[in-house]
Amino acid sequence: MKKIITALVILALLVIVLVAAGPFYLVNEGEQAVVVRFGQIQSIEREAGLKFKTPFLDNIVVYPKKILAWDGEPQRIPTLEKQFIWVDTTARWRISDPAKFYASVSTLDGAYGRLDNVIDSAVRTIITQNYLREAVRNSNAIQQTKSSESFETGDAAGSEALGQLTQVEVSHESITKGRRALAQEMLALSQELTPEYGMEILDVQVRQIKYSDELTESVYNRMISERNQIAQAFRSFGEGKKAEWLGKLENEKRSILSAAYTESETIKGKADAEATQIYSETYSRDPTFFSFWRALESYKKTLPKFNKTLSTDMDYFRYLYGTRGR
Amino acid sequence: MPPKFREPVRLNLKPRTIIAIAVVAAAAVFLGTSFFVVDTTERGVLTTFGRFTRTAEPGLHWKIPFGIQRNYNVKTEVIQVEEFGYRTDKAGLQTVYSDREYPEEATMLTGDLNIVDVEWIIQYRITDPKAWLFNFSSSERIRTIRDVSQAAMNMLVGDRTILNVLGPERTAIETACLEIMNDTLSSYDMGVRIIAVKLQNIVPPKGVQQSFEDVNKAIQDMNRLINEGKEAYNQEIPKARGQADQLIQIARGYAAERVNKARGDVARFASVYSEYRKAPDVTRERLYYEMVEQVFEGETSVELIDKELGNFIPFKSLDGGGKR
Repeated sequence: MKKIITALVILALLVIVLVAAGPFYLVNEGEQAVVVRFGQIQSIEREAGLKFKTPFLDNIVVYPKKILAWDGEPQRIPTLEKQFIWVDTTARWRISDPAKFYASVSTLDGAYGRLDNVIDSAVRTIITQNYLREAVRNSNAIQQTKSSESFETGDAAGSEALGQLTQVEVSHESITKGRRALAQEMLALSQELTPEYGMEILDVQVRQIKYSDELTESVYNRMISERNQIAQAFRSFGEGKKAEWLGKLENEKRSILSAAYTESETIKGKADAEATQIYSETYSRDPTFFSFWRALESYKKTLPKFNKTLSTDMDYFRYLYGTRGR
Repeated sequence: MPPKFREPVRLNLKPRTIIAIAVVAAAAVFLGTSFFVVDTTERGVLTTFGRFTRTAEPGLHWKIPFGIQRNYNVKTEVIQVEEFGYRTDKAGLQTVYSDREYPEEATMLTGDLNIVDVEWIIQYRITDPKAWLFNFSSSERIRTIRDVSQAAMNMLVGDRTILNVLGPERTAIETACLEIMNDTLSSYDMGVRIIAVKLQNIVPPKGVQQSFEDVNKAIQDMNRLINEGKEAYNQEIPKARGQADQLIQIARGYAAERVNKARGDVARFASVYSEYRKAPDVTRERLYYEMVEQVFEGETSVELIDKELGNFIPFKSLDGGGKR
């Protein structure tokens, strides 16, 4: 019994030692391995699985086969027109030739150091060679689109006039490359060196571009003044519209009232004329009687209000004082 | 117990026990490492000696134990979200957002060289668990999705004016961003698909927000002023129209009255006149006296003076004398 146990233990130990130092090693999916013997590269394993090696002699260095990311520090770079901007780039890369990589870089940290040098320098070169607009914009689509304030005045003609007033008329200069092309150039420039390291850069992405702090301040000021000017246009348009309404009010009020005056006077005049015609038509049949009649009518109206003192020689009194009455 | 076994450690361990323990342990490890469960939200990826063997649908699965086959479960059915320019601290009925700002994500340059802060989210799903696990470095996968999204969004905002970014181009940006991201990510063969890009807040930067706000206020002011003008107009003009109407109506009334009166006067005259013609003198006299009577009706103290006399005082004493 004791012997069996001892034998089992020894067997187990042997297996462990063999497996640990021995001919097997694993390459996982997404990994690749370099088999090194006394500093010399023996072979390269790019496929995953259980692999053999010479125990004790071969050393296995495992590298990722996956795509890796590189994240650059934002850099402050002047553009061609000497405006300082912060450019933040990232890149994707992978170890394309593990043997070369082992020989020239050997560790991932070393690789990141190389990438820092290569890509940062490429980014710097490309940005300084181009205008800001090339880095910011990607196409000339901006020249085609109309950008205008959105507002409602409740009056189509007015809205259109105001739209023109508040239109920020900037003709955007044409770009020849654009951001994507610049990223391609950065990539091409970076790719020149990396094959030496057994590395392949897949893409360079410009993650963010922003103004340097001192530039930001002046851009803010420009934006503010632009907004203020537009706000002024709206307010002034409002004032103008109001004045227009008040003017219209005055105009219409006067026209309406004066037109009414004209009409009313005309009506009255016509009536007067008609009345005159009616009177004269009848009265002219006997002007003497009319004169008499009209006088009597008039006396009836006016005399009762007078303070009356009568003269005795009135015709009325001809019987009272005259001889005929006695 | 023979006295030669002195070591206290091995006191109770018979070889049998050791073997039993070893067998139980081996069985436990065997069982523990031979089964795995794949949840409904996941797909399993199985490797043998590190090499991809197969994918596993949800359910209970068997694998070769002792780490020879390993399984990796990937959440393929779950829609995952990444936020840019802001963070949700705690989602819930009242979602809590982080106070921190993320200018390194949100601040962008527009095509007309203005600055704008953009917040957005992306939703994505892992479509190919094998590619997701093995094609891209695991610690950098999500950061890469974020980088690609930021680069795309920056480029799209950089191609538009600030006014269009703030308003009418939102949907166009979302669509284009989705497309660019999927193109880029499929070039990495990452095994993910972006499902949606949703823009959240797009605002001018803090320093200029007030002046943007002021334009909105100015638009309100403008409409207020226009309304004030209209109000004054509406206050006066309908009234003026009414007044005009009044004037005309009065004139019409006057006209009717004037004509009717004329007709009446004339009718009376005509009637009297036709009688008068039959006996002119008598009628004249009668009319005259009627008039005098009407005029003096109700008068009590009428003074009479003699035309020949210069002054009328003597006639005061004649009061009553005249009624002889």
